[in-house]
Amino acid sequence: MRATCLAPALLTIALAAPGARAASPERASAAPTVTTLTVERERPVREKLPTLQFLRANRDFIRARFDRLREESRVERAPAADLDPRFLEYRRLLAQIAAGKDSVTRASDARERQGVFTSVEELAGLERELDLMERLLDAQRARLTELQADFAGRQRTELNVVVTGNTLAGRVDSVRVTLEDGSSVASALTETQRGSLIHGGALEVFRGLAEPREQVIEVTLMGEGWSATGPGFVTLEPARDRLTFLKLDLSQASPARGIGSLTASTWLLDPNTPTAEAGQDHP
Amino acid sequence: MDDRAPQNSFPTRIAAVTLAALLSGAFAGGGPAPALAANAVAFAARGGLELASAAAQAWSGDAVLVYVENDESLNADGAGTSTRWSYLFFSASHDRARVWSVRGGRIVVAEDLDMRFDAPPVAAGWLDSGAAIAAAERGAGGEVRKLSGAHLETMLLMRGAFSDGDPDATTWTLVYRAPGVPSLFVMVSAADGKVQRTWRG
Repeated sequence: MRATCLAPALLTIALAAPGARAASPERASAAPTVTTLTVERERPVREKLPTLQFLRANRDFIRARFDRLREESRVERAPAADLDPRFLEYRRLLAQIAAGKDSVTRASDARERQGVFTSVEELAGLERELDLMERLLDAQRARLTELQADFAGRQRTELNVVVTGNTLAGRVDSVRVTLEDGSSVASALTETQRGSLIHGGALEVFRGLAEPREQVIEVTLMGEGWSATGPGFVTLEPARDRLTFLKLDLSQASPARGIGSLTASTWLLDPNTPTAEAGQDHP
Repeated sequence: MDDRAPQNSFPTRIAAVTLAALLSGAFAGGGPAPALAANAVAFAARGGLELASAAAQAWSGDAVLVYVENDESLNADGAGTSTRWSYLFFSASHDRARVWSVRGGRIVVAEDLDMRFDAPPVAAGWLDSGAAIAAAERGAGGEVRKLSGAHLETMLLMRGAFSDGDPDATTWTLVYRAPGVPSLFVMVSAADGKVQRTWRG
């Protein structure tokens, strides 16, 4: 897995936790399905299935064949692939953006030079300029929509781990999340973040690409009372090409009950959730 | 070469089924679903490619597919289907290969390959396993199956290793086994479905 954002960031509970949405009756029906998970004290044992049996049985032979191929002097042939037409389109869009910028700059310069308008004709000219700017803005908006559909609309398999709530006892100074590939992310909690958790906030401790398969996430809490409890293990399966949330709720956790007292739940980001983009209704 | 013999002896199967039943029982207590789906549907090699590719891209942006092999026995229907296929990707930035094994629409194994295997990437647009079998069965493959009672044990897709004439060619290699005789290898072009060569080994 590759983490795209390792720095912990505070999220608003409205964004991260589906429970907050359920408070609104009209949205309750669209709330994502939340699955409760168990935080286990021992790493779950997974069955071992054999793979690539032929390759492993003939590894020396096949490697020798590849080695021989490399030794042979041969002309490398790299067949050219068709260029993605979108890349050509991006160039056109950039040219249009540059042309639009030039037009706006020219109009702005001309306006500055003119100073005070004294005739109806000049006012009409100003209106034409404003129309032109509006058209350019419309074109820019259309290009942005096109780009957003290409990039922002292409959701990949991602995992977002958030922590909520304050522990019943002890004090959590940091949260460590370790993935199956051994990579580990530790997020230290500041006083501000701890206060935010107490008041219902959520802290993002990991966000990154994840393999779309069942996997075990290791969670360790460190701090007063927690450092000796050892790690907990959560099994989940991020859905392909979707953003999966894993929420670790500390509100019922105490060192005396161990790491298993954490409550874990998971849900998928609703792809139809409206974005927070500025629009006519809000800034 | 491959000394893997058919391993479907009766006691082994009993043990495997018993083990699977025990494992299912162990997982029944609210834990994760067992990776072994009881009635996994057989699928052709391309059927698991998208899922494996998504996993590979999460692992490494420069991962390229270098090898495909059936992990469980091939169906005898000649459609080139198996209940589990492995997809091996190589990442130059990680300088290692990683395999994802797909069964029942899920990845049931993901592990780094414990050997160096920086093979060239297979060409895009490779023919699916069904088309490769059809080509092999029209020739030596079908013949050896009928005359020697051989069965198709393994299909593997890769580029270069067995292709003496054109080391850039991506090919399917089909391995037919029969008791008491050397295995028959049939190499089929994954570009046009033509049989490139056959040999015993």
